[in-house]
Amino acid sequence: MKGDIERCFDQKHKGKALSVMCFAFIALYLGFCAVSAHATDNTSTRTVKHALGETVIHGQPKRVVSLFQGATDTLVALGVEPVGVVESWAQKPMYSYLRPQLKNVTYVGLETQPSLEDIALLKPDLIIASRYRSEKIYGILSQIAPTIALEEVYDFRQTLKTTGKALGREKKANQLLTDWQKRIIDTRHKLQGHFGKDWPQKISLLDFRSDHVRLYTPNSFSGSILSDLGFKWPQVVEDSQWAPQKLVSKESIPLIDADMYFVLMKDDAAVKKNYQSWSQHLLWQRTKAAKTHHIYHVDNIYWSLAGGIISANHMLDEVDTIFHPPYQSPTHGSNQDLNQIPHQGKLQ
Amino acid sequence: MIPWWQNAQKPLLILILGTTLLLISFVLSLCIGSTFISPITVMQALFNPDLFNLDHILVTTTRLSRSVIALVVGGCLAVSGCLMQALTRNPLASPSIFGINAGATFSIIICSMIFQLDSMQQYMWAALLGAFVAGAMVYAIGTMGTGRFNPIRIVLAGAAITALFGSFTQALLVIDQEGLDSILFWLAGSVANRQLDTLTTLLPYIGVALIGAFLLAKPINILMAGDEISKGLGQRTALVQMLMGLAITVLAGCAVAMAGNIVFVGLIVPHIVRKLMSTAIAHEWLIPGCMIFGALLLLIADMVARVIIFPQEIPIGVMTAFLGAPLFIYLIRRGMRHG
Repeated sequence: MKGDIERCFDQKHKGKALSVMCFAFIALYLGFCAVSAHATDNTSTRTVKHALGETVIHGQPKRVVSLFQGATDTLVALGVEPVGVVESWAQKPMYSYLRPQLKNVTYVGLETQPSLEDIALLKPDLIIASRYRSEKIYGILSQIAPTIALEEVYDFRQTLKTTGKALGREKKANQLLTDWQKRIIDTRHKLQGHFGKDWPQKISLLDFRSDHVRLYTPNSFSGSILSDLGFKWPQVVEDSQWAPQKLVSKESIPLIDADMYFVLMKDDAAVKKNYQSWSQHLLWQRTKAAKTHHIYHVDNIYWSLAGGIISANHMLDEVDTIFHPPYQSPTHGSNQDLNQIPHQGKLQ
Repeated sequence: MIPWWQNAQKPLLILILGTTLLLISFVLSLCIGSTFISPITVMQALFNPDLFNLDHILVTTTRLSRSVIALVVGGCLAVSGCLMQALTRNPLASPSIFGINAGATFSIIICSMIFQLDSMQQYMWAALLGAFVAGAMVYAIGTMGTGRFNPIRIVLAGAAITALFGSFTQALLVIDQEGLDSILFWLAGSVANRQLDTLTTLLPYIGVALIGAFLLAKPINILMAGDEISKGLGQRTALVQMLMGLAITVLAGCAVAMAGNIVFVGLIVPHIVRKLMSTAIAHEWLIPGCMIFGALLLLIADMVARVIIFPQEIPIGVMTAFLGAPLFIYLIRRGMRHG
């Protein structure tokens, strides 16, 4: 025995002994990892902090119900097909970009009034709700299944983080967030290159309704993304960061003046009429964006109605497409040339 | 000597005072907004507009239409409220009790679902149609059976029709939530972004109804003495009541067609005018008084609503209640003290 031990510590055999030990450690570690991975999948218990408290979730939820659009998008992004979702705001019952991944889903009513009975019948093991929409029914939802509530429906980063944690898919969620952050930095550089000395550009993000215009702030889905990209806002937006301003009178047009407008519109006759009446107003035509034809009609599903990480990526695709063509500085281009540039983007 | 405020000429003085205030408010309404435009520039914009002058554009495109519409809608609502209170002999009556607002809203929703309305004019006609159908139904139910006009039955019929159309509206909106957006601006009353051509289309009807209401003033005074007495005096009460119902429907229908649901004006302005004029029966004074003070209330309410949190706006219905209710309570309390 003694001789064996001594032999082990013998200079000649030291390397071999070390490698044996290393191997043993690696084997042990791998075994541990396998066990812990197994544990995450089935038997682990997580406590997820959220807007309406803390919820304990066991194992990996298999029957998930989503109660707002952003959560549905996020679940699909995390590779989970929910068993139940609320109807979309447009392209009912579900946005076409999510339909292929939601073939077997059950619709549990509207985001504003989900059917609790339908939710209960699905026997979910996790419900993803929001404080904004579901605070009043949170108690009942919690009785049906463990429920997590996001503070805001449009905060897609938080939705992704919290949902990832609740599903035990934090790694995937973090990967998506890292990719997103990289993409933001990349796009910001591209925009800087595109606009040169005219960067940063001042923008107004306008959502036309039938009787008013909503002026979004950085505290909104697409507003937060545009802010991350480095776009600047008019003073009236800077002054009121928290809520979108509802502009009713055309007298407020000078306040939205910016280098460019991103315009969101529903496919609705009354909304289009309102847009026409605003854009034909002389005050509108005197604004910088209108004069230089930098008015971009963007997809209101990707930019506002969907509110998840997938739609955020689609939104950046659109930004990429819009600013792909060479930029012409309004101060240097002759007016005649500018007038020939058609309205870019698509009119929905 | 009798002090001037107890003078027999008091209603006339109140009327002159109201008109003066109305003129001042109207000019002021054109002056204030995102920027203050001087009354002189306003006059130039009205009578000698320069198409490229920014101030002139502001006055003629945004401020003029909403001020004129506030004026007309306020007048219409107050006069129809006054007639309604006289017709039902119920001080709490207002045009919305006639089912007119509910009918107009329902009609707009159903018409926009079937015909895809997209212009102001189309919305207006749909609203008017709904107002007339609802008004006629209430009148028919209220006079049915006995063939006689019964104020209590009118109020009950109005409440029933309002509830009926209200539930239809709710049901349709639940089925078609998409449609909600396009008519939202109708549900919440507003005088913003209305075009003056809707007014010019309706003006003849409003004019006839207002003149009619004024001509009905004396018969209404007699009617107020009670059915039996007025019949005894040789009045054709059924005819007077029918004409009143018609005037109410035209005035309130036109108002709701132009500006959507604006409640409260029709209820409180007649009371305010009665207190100011110290008369509850002289409709030859009350009707023009309601015209002036209804217009004044809505004009001031609109002015405050659009200035106070600029660039956003407070719903005008909120503002009329906010301005009118304290005055209403004060006048009623004062009236009670003096017995």
